[in-house]
Amino acid sequence: MSAILLVAIPLLVAFLSILVKKYAPYLLIIVGLFNLVMLFLLQDGGVIIGGFDQPLGINLLLNLYSRIALILINALIVVIACLNIKDYGKYGSILLLAMAGLNGLVLTVDLFNFFVFLEISGIAAYLITSSNKKPTNTFHYLALGAVGSSLFLFGVIILYAMYGTLNYGAMIEAIAANNNYAEVVLPFTLMFIGLGVEAKLLPFNSWVKGALGHSNTMSGPMIASVYAAALSFVLGRMIDNLFLFQGTLLTIVTVLLTVGILLGDFMAFSSTKTREILLFSSVAQASIVALLFVNGVVAWAVWLIIANALSKTVMFLVINKATKEVGCDETKSLQGLFTKNILVGLAFTLATLSVMGLPLLVGFMIKLNFLTALAGAGQIWLIVAILIASLVEGIYFVRLLVKLWYKGENEISVKYNLSFKVVFVVIALALLAFGSYTAPMNQIDNSVDAVTEVVNNG
Amino acid sequence: MIQYAAIILFVFGLYGLFTNRNVIKMIVSLNVMEVGLNIFIISIGFTYDGIAPILSSTTANGLLYVDPLPQALVLTAIVIGVGTTALGLAIAKSIHKTYNTFDLDEMGDKE
Amino acid sequence: MASIEYLILILVGASFLAYLFTKLNTYLGSVFTILATMFVFASLAGYGFGMGLDTTVNYLPWFTFNQTYLGFYFVIIIAFVYLMVSFFHPYYLGQYKYKDSYNMLFLLSLAGIIGAFYTDNFLQLFFFFELIIWTTMFLIPQGKSREAAVSYFGFSVAGSVAMLIGIFLIFSSTGQLDITSGLAAISGTNAIIVFILFLIAGFAKLGAFPLHIWLPIAHGNAPHPFSPVLSGALVKLGAFIGILALVRIVPTANLLVDSINLPLGQWLVAILGSISIVFGTLMAIKEDDAKKLLAYSSMSHGGYILVAFSLMNSVAFAGGFYHILAHAIASAAAFMAIAAVARATGTTKMKELGGMIHKMPITYLAYLVAIISMAGIPPMGGFISKWLIFMAVINKGMIFVAIAIFFGSVGSFLYVFRPLAALFLGQEFREYKHVKEAPIMMLIPTFILMGLNVYTGVFPSFILNFINNILGELGYAALNVTSSSIINVFDGQGILNPALISLVFAVGVFIAFIIFILLKKSRSVSLMDTYTAANFVHDEHLLHYSVDFYAPLERLYEKHTNWMTKFYESLAKKVKEIGNLGKYLFMSKNIGTTMLWIITIIILLLWGVAL
Repeated sequence: MSAILLVAIPLLVAFLSILVKKYAPYLLIIVGLFNLVMLFLLQDGGVIIGGFDQPLGINLLLNLYSRIALILINALIVVIACLNIKDYGKYGSILLLAMAGLNGLVLTVDLFNFFVFLEISGIAAYLITSSNKKPTNTFHYLALGAVGSSLFLFGVIILYAMYGTLNYGAMIEAIAANNNYAEVVLPFTLMFIGLGVEAKLLPFNSWVKGALGHSNTMSGPMIASVYAAALSFVLGRMIDNLFLFQGTLLTIVTVLLTVGILLGDFMAFSSTKTREILLFSSVAQASIVALLFVNGVVAWAVWLIIANALSKTVMFLVINKATKEVGCDETKSLQGLFTKNILVGLAFTLATLSVMGLPLLVGFMIKLNFLTALAGAGQIWLIVAILIASLVEGIYFVRLLVKLWYKGENEISVKYNLSFKVVFVVIALALLAFGSYTAPMNQIDNSVDAVTEVVNNG
Repeated sequence: MIQYAAIILFVFGLYGLFTNRNVIKMIVSLNVMEVGLNIFIISIGFTYDGIAPILSSTTANGLLYVDPLPQALVLTAIVIGVGTTALGLAIAKSIHKTYNTFDLDEMGDKE
Repeated sequence: MASIEYLILILVGASFLAYLFTKLNTYLGSVFTILATMFVFASLAGYGFGMGLDTTVNYLPWFTFNQTYLGFYFVIIIAFVYLMVSFFHPYYLGQYKYKDSYNMLFLLSLAGIIGAFYTDNFLQLFFFFELIIWTTMFLIPQGKSREAAVSYFGFSVAGSVAMLIGIFLIFSSTGQLDITSGLAAISGTNAIIVFILFLIAGFAKLGAFPLHIWLPIAHGNAPHPFSPVLSGALVKLGAFIGILALVRIVPTANLLVDSINLPLGQWLVAILGSISIVFGTLMAIKEDDAKKLLAYSSMSHGGYILVAFSLMNSVAFAGGFYHILAHAIASAAAFMAIAAVARATGTTKMKELGGMIHKMPITYLAYLVAIISMAGIPPMGGFISKWLIFMAVINKGMIFVAIAIFFGSVGSFLYVFRPLAALFLGQEFREYKHVKEAPIMMLIPTFILMGLNVYTGVFPSFILNFINNILGELGYAALNVTSSSIINVFDGQGILNPALISLVFAVGVFIAFIIFILLKKSRSVSLMDTYTAANFVHDEHLLHYSVDFYAPLERLYEKHTNWMTKFYESLAKKVKEIGNLGKYLFMSKNIGTTMLWIITIIILLLWGVAL
């Protein structure tokens, strides 16, 4: 048993499932559950593939960080697959491909291999958005994604030319030994931009509006929760271990991310379409996560990714289901959505409150802790920016909530299946429980993903 | 020298993507960009007067090899590029089916 | 031994029970809410006065509690208002859309209040503030308007955001998160910034100028039983933050305004407080909706509190503290009286009402007592506090502030009288023939509040002695109060004997009553029994005298009343515009735009490195 199975089995089953298309979603769920079991059984440590010793060859690394990420990704994919078995069953093979790609992305510590998985998961993502039936938006996503990964590869190759290795650990050591940050600025920028395209960072993310603005109950949570979480995790690993931004690069990245936070929430404020509000809020959240990684607040960034992924799953599922039945996602036409669906409304409200960072919910503790960490580092201006953005965020979310809870001119009725409700309630309760009982969250610290140590020792 | 050519090709690809509004032409631009990138990768491993990196009993040590790793990478990159292109073309076909045109500007506000 | 932790846990538990009970039966849930509130109030009153509450923490690991006289003063007032209001729940909740969550959120917000005033840590303070905001925010849209909730939430969160930035500024410069030592340790430029930020928070919650826009919107449109909580209890959170800033941080201590010997920061706050008084008064005079009128009156009373706490002496502070109590009781009573009328008639617009005194005499009396207190006329509590504040302002020699305060007092006569006359006096409209006095459950709090309004006006010594404890805690000299309630300020420059005044007042009322008995009875005529310029008026509403009552006065300023509202509207519009600009710049459908940004950033970076 080795971590490679987490990638290999979904990949194998993805191709096999094309032969038995009917059973693809069931295969997906079985594989997902198998992966989850594996994740609880596997030992921490590196995996060497093909018998090449490090730093040669491809290596995978399973540590606490990647384990958290993988559990989140696989569990969410299984949940989303279960909910969409009827409507989007034929996307089972694609979700398997996405699972393989994302698992590989999180596990690998080889930069070129990382690129390969980036492309695999990217192709799966393009196919997932094609379920929106908006081919121009999918094409937009594809073109930007291709450019992004090309830039990433460009950066990787430049690094290879400089240091002659593609292994994380060896690369980090080589850079440290050379101790000249100026010479790695170009490759790091290219890699950051390449990842930024996929991780929804402003201004590389114009695909988000098309891809999520017309999303459905499958593509919405897949792109906004699963992909966002996975990409945030790997971006965080890169920033935390490899990039270690300094000087001009640090300034530019910080400015970009701060503008991303503010503009993301401003754009959501100016939107009237529900899905657009949600997607722009995700843009702002993605920037906050990246900013935390840049400032070394790794532990709380991890929790923020998890909380956001869970909340956004609920929010996108609720809204996309309603949009599908109502036929329009203007907030005006969704008024009174929760008058008949009290339980769904409660879950949605709790998820929203968590994203807004209000007390009793997990989002509050995370927000307070990362702000404290930033304050401890003396980053008062970042706190000001984040809080102003959160003020704007609070206003548009409250506006949305009030609209959804109270009837407008037309009465609308949306039916949520039992399976949807179960998922909503479980996630809402989790958000509530960890909001009041925070002890487990203090167990990881900022060195949760010290890649170099493990690579060199394992 | 060849690296400049590769970068110029890459920039040409970007430029094409930047200026074209025709889906097919954009896919071609993406391909040009990828070719440029592949050439760049190959050029990294190239050594003047180097021989093919094939290990056999007859070759002696001390000879100059071309770095084999970029070549392996390029193979993978080409495969991935083909995959992306195929997917892009499939999407282009579905765009044409929906809007009866390949030009993004001619689609109007239908979204 | 009551423990703060248990009280909070009990309230949280009770809130979920209240949800279940209300789901079963509105009445049952509301009675449960009354009992829970009563239990909490009784525990606080029983143990809190002597600082006898248990502050140990067993089940809430993150929290720490500490008792102070200051915190207790606020918590007991607010818990009292909550208790009074909860008596109204059984009669109102039935009409609300989400009545089951109403009781739950009500109790949860009370838990937040207890925590907020007993905690000794800044982050926990923020926790409880945010808890109060979001729980109460969901209560407001159950009333008339949904936008009111957004406005309330926006301003409140703006306040807490400012407070949190201040907290983190303290934390990053001193490393302290403890409230007392943190405020003591901050110094220099940071102290000025924290002072401003905390005052923004205080102004936003208190609804003082220029952050007052939400006040009439939220108060006017909130559910009827919730308006008294907003005005009597929740705005006092702002006063609390304001006190923290004004009394504990004196950032410009060596930057005195020479003539009056007051630090610049405090002086500016006094000016802003005066603007609040004047602005609130003018707007209240103009307002037609009784609840919005009282909301503007809350704004002007918030101004009094700010002026009082910016004067830096114990007379003013005592006046401020007393005013917090007096206004809480008076405005709760007034709002509850209006609520009772609204329940019976379905409206709070003054020109649609009249003659309620015949149907609801007790409610009328409660309102009358409340507005006498609000206008600062003896023998009610509002008089004592305003007198203390007057004395302090005049003693400081702040002429313009004094003018504003007198203007506010005179203005109060003008506006609080209007709902009294419009709602309760005058002719009765035909549509209200069926109206009855409020049920007995609603009269219980009405009587209690009425009694307290008088008690605070006649026998202030007990409360002033407690206030002296707070003053000692804040490091100021105690006020000179003798056991017979005679207040002596500034070494005999001002001596007040409320009991004597009340006696004179009572004699006057008695004489008036005798005259009323002896004189001939007036004849009752119906409203339509009249001719106007030889024309018969068909619509009796046009004869209502409160239509355009102060028209000549209003004409002087009516064009200049909404520029602050316009400012916030245009601010929201600007944010929206920036958002749209962002969409245009970054979210274009054209792939080339994004490419342009990528290339720009690479070039910028290379250029930056090359430099």
